[in-house]
Amino acid sequence: MMKDITLGQYFPGSSLLHRLDPRMKLVLTLLFIVLVFLPQNWWGLLAVLVFLVLVVALSRLPARLLWRSVKPVLFLVLFTAVLNMLYVHTGTTLVQWGFIHVTTGGLQNAAFIAVRILCLIAGSSLLTYTTTPTALTDGIEQLLSPLKWIKINPHELAMMMTIALRFIPTLMEETDKIMSAQKARGADLESGGLLQRVRALVPILIPLFVSSFRRAYDLAMAMECRCYQGGEGRTRMKQLRTAPRDWLSLAVYAAVAAGLVVLNGLFGSVLK
Amino acid sequence: MATIVVDNITYTYGANSPFEKHAIRGVSLEIPAGQLVGIIGHTGSGKSTLVQHLNGLLRPNQGRILLDGRDIWAEPKKIRDVRFRVGMVFQYPEHQLFEDTIYKDIAFGPKNMGLDEAEIDRRVRQAAAYVGLDEALLDKSPFDLSGGEKRRAAIAGVMAMEPEVLILDEPTAGLDPRGREQILAMVGDYQRSRGTTVLLVTHSMEDVARVADRVLVMADGQVAMLDTVKRVFSRADELERIGLAVPAVTKILLLLRRGGVAVDTAAYTVEQAVAQLLPLLGGDGV
Repeated sequence: MMKDITLGQYFPGSSLLHRLDPRMKLVLTLLFIVLVFLPQNWWGLLAVLVFLVLVVALSRLPARLLWRSVKPVLFLVLFTAVLNMLYVHTGTTLVQWGFIHVTTGGLQNAAFIAVRILCLIAGSSLLTYTTTPTALTDGIEQLLSPLKWIKINPHELAMMMTIALRFIPTLMEETDKIMSAQKARGADLESGGLLQRVRALVPILIPLFVSSFRRAYDLAMAMECRCYQGGEGRTRMKQLRTAPRDWLSLAVYAAVAAGLVVLNGLFGSVLK
Repeated sequence: MATIVVDNITYTYGANSPFEKHAIRGVSLEIPAGQLVGIIGHTGSGKSTLVQHLNGLLRPNQGRILLDGRDIWAEPKKIRDVRFRVGMVFQYPEHQLFEDTIYKDIAFGPKNMGLDEAEIDRRVRQAAAYVGLDEALLDKSPFDLSGGEKRRAAIAGVMAMEPEVLILDEPTAGLDPRGREQILAMVGDYQRSRGTTVLLVTHSMEDVARVADRVLVMADGQVAMLDTVKRVFSRADELERIGLAVPAVTKILLLLRRGGVAVDTAAYTVEQAVAQLLPLLGGDGV
């Protein structure tokens, strides 16, 4: 059960996407989010879709991975689409039944928003699929370095994130073990009402908290023993360096953005 | 008393995924009632996976587990009853303590069984006595106990269910020699006084040599040997091929025999080895 959860999971590879500088990938992902929200008509959205397919092809990841990232948000997508369908009342009326008032404009809006969200999720999940957690936090740390000026330490933020990511699988395993141990003592996790089920979690959550604290304490001790004292004066084994391919990718994204703006101008907006 | 029969079970972790791993393959064995069986094997040999099948925490992909002749998965809804009959103490069991007092924690299992207060009280006190926990400790928080005491309290939590079969997965892991000795002596006493079937999963050949009646050797997800301690240790060459070390005294006798001294290499305790060696030394006129 616990093994099915993928959170920020990295899939090893050596594609162009894998080799991009993580800082650039973070910037490009933000840019991609902008790209997804730029189009105002179907031609623009189609262009985004084609662009997404090309990027996915470049990443050489199996398509089912994207399906897996999209699956958990399908409900959200459906919910947003239905709301749009019910609340946008432009175009010709198709169904009028009580409070349900479906129009062609509403349907169009619903479909548009659904495709937009799916592109957004699929595109941004490429970031974690192609970047190791360490590279990702390195990238975040360096992108956030201007925050030093307002007395926020980006190194500490990045270190916390690295540690959190590192401990997710460990804690999953720990949860599995504690659950087995309590089940062996007859803990009933599967039946009963809501209150009973919440109460049944106590024997699992308490040992889990205790062990998290124990691990945190041990880790802090181990870090101190190796003279860790924050980012001050720390050097890296792997220096991040931008290569021509990073700037080229940025140029491509910028060109696509410009293209989308032109498409907006050419075909007008279909969104209400 | 309950007899466990394992009938050709196979279990695969993460079936149909890139991380697929056959943990155990075609394991069949019978554990008669009232014995103390040591289970040894390398890390990843499948010993922990095997024992988790015996109380229905894992369900085999193939094969059956019979408890007194009945398939434990005949009625999946009643698997909890199997867990009360086959008690399981996990590795580092002290990590599962969660109540605010030791008493309540030991009572967790019996309470889940739906016993009345008086019976729960009797069982908690008896289990505490078995593991050698002082009555005064029962009202303390688990956090106030030492590591060894916590472990014994956790073991008492399973003993209090009065299972017909008790499985202990590496109960001596991470303890100092004195703590190990205490736990092993306690398990041995418990087994003799109650006549319960006890399965002891361990890395240590010395532990097995000390307390077990029989030994089950697992290798690569399969049963390599299941025999009396004496016979298993007499197959030292095979054990070493699997990557398991025989007890130090057996090893010495083996080396002596290889060097041309006529000794019986089946000895596995210091006393037995002494009995082998003294006459030899006496013969030399020492």
